[in-house]
Amino acid sequence: MEAPIPGRSMPDDAQRSDLRFAQLKAALPQRGVVGYVGDAGESGIASYYLSQYALAPLVLDRSLNHPFVVGNFPSNPPAASVENLRLVKDFGDGVLLFAGEDQP
Amino acid sequence: MLAALLALLCAASGVLLVLLLWPRESALGMNWLLQGCLGLGCGLGLFSVIFFVSRASGSTNLLVVDFAVFALLLAGYVFRRRRTAVVTTTHLSDEKTDPDWLLLVLRAALAIALLAALYSAILRIIAHPHGDGWDAFAIWNLHARFLFRGGVHWRDGFPLIPWSHPDYPLLLPAAIAHFWTGLGYESQIVPALIGLVFTFGAIGLLFSSLAMLRGQISAILGGLTLLATPFFIEQGTAQYADVPLSFFILATIVLLCLYEQNSGSRRPQGLLVLAGISCGFAAWTKNEGLLFLLAILAARLLLFFITQSRSVRAEAPPRPYITYENARQASTSLAFFLAGIVPLLLLIAWFKHSVGASNELFSSIVFHKLLDASRYHAILKWYGKDFLRFGDWLLIPGTALLAGLYFAAPDERMQAADPAFGASRMALVMTLAGYFLIYLITPYDLYWHLRFSLNRLFLQLWPAVIFLFFVRIPVLIPTSSNVESVSK
Repeated sequence: MEAPIPGRSMPDDAQRSDLRFAQLKAALPQRGVVGYVGDAGESGIASYYLSQYALAPLVLDRSLNHPFVVGNFPSNPPAASVENLRLVKDFGDGVLLFAGEDQP
Repeated sequence: MLAALLALLCAASGVLLVLLLWPRESALGMNWLLQGCLGLGCGLGLFSVIFFVSRASGSTNLLVVDFAVFALLLAGYVFRRRRTAVVTTTHLSDEKTDPDWLLLVLRAALAIALLAALYSAILRIIAHPHGDGWDAFAIWNLHARFLFRGGVHWRDGFPLIPWSHPDYPLLLPAAIAHFWTGLGYESQIVPALIGLVFTFGAIGLLFSSLAMLRGQISAILGGLTLLATPFFIEQGTAQYADVPLSFFILATIVLLCLYEQNSGSRRPQGLLVLAGISCGFAAWTKNEGLLFLLAILAARLLLFFITQSRSVRAEAPPRPYITYENARQASTSLAFFLAGIVPLLLLIAWFKHSVGASNELFSSIVFHKLLDASRYHAILKWYGKDFLRFGDWLLIPGTALLAGLYFAAPDERMQAADPAFGASRMALVMTLAGYFLIYLITPYDLYWHLRFSLNRLFLQLWPAVIFLFFVRIPVLIPTSSNVESVSK
């Protein structure tokens, strides 16, 4: 018995999310675990689920303690760099790939 | 071409499974629809099992396995046809006694409702290609992607996404992944079509079973009741698992009732095996199906023990609805029912063990919640409210309509209930009670949990409730066939 989080997705949210992440998906390994950083709040949860849906079976862990971290800021792209992370590539439309500061 | 072949294999395997277990001499009018609807659901169930077992065993050539299963079922069916037919006495209502004018009006109404529902469903599929709502992409289709994209490593990610309920059974995701693997690519039309099959399959199953047991007027009224439940069509196209679960709950109850309709020493035990398979598929669809499975088993056992205890009390007056089976017959029936259930239960146990995920509802049971009267009050209030509104009815709630009809009907509704009806009704009540208990102990905020799940839980049982209602209620126009059927 699942209890969905309040609110409903827009009709084509999943489709749009798949398109947004298509380029990043090709740049990441197919399996394994990467970090995830995104908007806060309820919309942030929806974005996180949609990102996981787009990038499966790669697992997105909502943590920065990974060599690579997926950044997802569909509505508010971060003005400055995210703390302790180095931007590797901006894929546009709020999709970013970060690496930990200590990564080569 | 490949898509058509896969769909054909799936449907044919399911129909063959049904025919293999179907009593030979009961193939009377309307059965093609009943067997077809059951076959489609069972075919999807079979496809999910084939995919899961193939994945787990590392088999790569899925199409070969599909053909092997199909060939086995075909061989079994051909072999069975050559044997002496088992004579059964399935009761059918005499359709000719229904007034022509009324049938004509009702048939037209059903046709219009069916077309409207189909039109609405197709529009919804176009508008929501990935399903409508969180669970579609955060649970069911996500699991399908893990199964399809992950290959032999599909399991690796499951324990790492606890928010996606990795312990949820895989009938729907594995059936979707089976088609995707066969096609070689992901197509969103697959989950959408599977949703359509279960939605309209449930309507066809309800209609055809009622037509067989109670005549066309009951069948059309039952079909109209379900078609006039907007939430059923919405959920059926939302790519959630609630409507598929409702299909298997209905199928289990229909098959048990059909079994009870066949009297005599050589009862069609195949129907019991098929009912067990359907019940197992319910548990393989959602965890609530597991609750239903336990409830139907408990209800059948309970009814049997009540019967036995009453039969040994000579002073007890005879009760017309008491089961007709003695202890030996009942044990045999239970064994056949379990023969259908057990393989799927083992599969579920294997899956749950292999992903190693526990259900969040039972991960931290706080017993003091069971003593909190305010929780009982809140749940009862929501049960009362959702009883009248879960179907998203515009004006008159379908539940209120059925309740009104029930109280307006003559007293004969209380007579001659057969054991399958009694056990099914008891099982549905037990399932509702089980949902109640889960709400009592839920780790989530109670109001939030009730708000976003209770209507779907009611929907899971709704087709079965409609079936049981129209099976028992005297048909509105009294005919000889109805009287015969009620007294059976």
